[in-house]
Order: sequence, then structure tokens, then C-alpha cells
Amino acid sequence: MLNHGIMMLHVLFGVLGILCAVALFMDVLNAGAKNYQRIKILSLTVAAFLVVSFLVGGYWYVTFYGAERDIIKAGAWPWAHNFFMEVKEHIFFAMLLLGLYLPIAVYKNTPLTSRKNKNLVLAICAMIILLGVFMEGAGGIISKGVTIGLRG
Amino acid sequence: MKMKKVSVKGKKLMKSATKMNKYALGFGLSLVVTNLLNAVILVVKEVSAPVMNAMKAALGHHWTTHAALLIFLFIILGAVFSTYEVAAKWDSRKMMYYIIGSVVISVAIVTVFFLPYLIA
Repeated sequence: MLNHGIMMLHVLFGVLGILCAVALFMDVLNAGAKNYQRIKILSLTVAAFLVVSFLVGGYWYVTFYGAERDIIKAGAWPWAHNFFMEVKEHIFFAMLLLGLYLPIAVYKNTPLTSRKNKNLVLAICAMIILLGVFMEGAGGIISKGVTIGLRG
Repeated sequence: MKMKKVSVKGKKLMKSATKMNKYALGFGLSLVVTNLLNAVILVVKEVSAPVMNAMKAALGHHWTTHAALLIFLFIILGAVFSTYEVAAKWDSRKMMYYIIGSVVISVAIVTVFFLPYLIA
């Protein structure tokens, strides 16, 4: 039960990070004096959710994933681990680092009304969103790999 | 004459608005380097058993060591790069292209490295 609870928390914080990145993307598109405070808060929120998702997911991966990995590798979808989990666990670092840089880009690279500064933040948000969507899809395939492995 | 002065001042203001803050530049460059190192570390640890074993021994799991190493490098390199006086030569557009490039290259290396397992 603890295993599944921690996994669900990892997914939850990851999804919240992606949703906040989408909200930030929209806010930066319409950046101005009125929403600058919200942009700053959202950039910190994205970073915080991604860090928490990383810590929770990392703990789960190191503590619980070994048993599930063996089930996947013995099943009909060994590539769910050999490709999707391996790629996911390493590409996640790119997403985490982008998330850590995001508040720096927002706080230190003002004004966001400048097109170049705005595009930098938009590009970071877009990459977090795209990588995040891949993370969610890969997570679903890995989970299905366990189900198929358990069927034998 | 007065018009010309305003124009020159306006240009200067526009230019300074697009120059990067030293921390945005320093940590941006650090992000680029760390992203590429992520892929390099992955390939090295996967092809070299001694490196993999050393990473497992360092913090109990190779992935934990990999993560700690990248975060440490991101912070240290960011702090070091922030002290360089090159911020005036960079703007946000250049940084954006470098960051996108590093992410694309890093993701491509990781994906291609594991692709044989998907095809097999």
C-alpha cells in the first residue's frame, strides 16, 4: 500500500508541475505589470512541484522499483523497463534542471515584456510540458508492463 | 539634433533590456553543460562496469549518485559562470537556442542509446 501511495504522490506532483508550467506559459504570453507577481509565484511553484516529484519518485524507484522491474523483464513487455524506464529516469534530469532554472530566468531576466526574455521563459515552459507529457506516457507504459508481467 | 539624441538613448535602452543578468546567464550556461553531461554520464556508466560499480557504491544506487552529481554540478557551475564578465555578450535569444539545443542533444543521446532494447 505504501508502495502505491508513494507512486501516486510522485505522479500527482509531476502532473501539478506540468499544469503549473502550462499556466505559466499562458501568463508569460500575456506578461505585464498586472500578472508579473503571479508569474514569479508560478515559476517557483513549477520548480517546487518538480523537486518534490523527483524526491518522492526517486525514493520509490530506489526502494520499491526493483521487484516491479523483475516482473516487467520476465513478462511480454521487457522493453517497458529496458527502454521506457531507462529513458524516463534519465530524461527526467533534464526536466528537473529546466525546472530549477525557471525561477532564475523569471526573477533575474526581466523585463518579461521584452520579446527575447519572454521567449526564453516560454521555451523552458514548453520543454517542461513536452518532457512532462512523455514522462506521464512512459509511466503508463511501465505500469502496463507490470500488469502484463503479472499475467505471465 | 534633439531627435538624434533620443534615438540613440532609445537604442541603448533597448539593448540593455535584452542583455542577460549574470545569474540568468551563469545558471543558463550551467544548465546547458549539465544537460549534456547527463547524457555523457549515462553512456559512460552504462558501458563501463567499474564506473557503474563506483556510482552504486558512492550513494547506494547509481541513479542517486547520478542525480546528486548533476544537481551539485548545476549549482557549482552556475555559481562559477555567474562570476564571469561575459553577460554583456549574451542575450536571452542566444541562451534560449543553447538550452533548446542541449535538451534536444541530451534527449537524443539517451533515446538512441536505449533504442536497441525497444527494437529487440
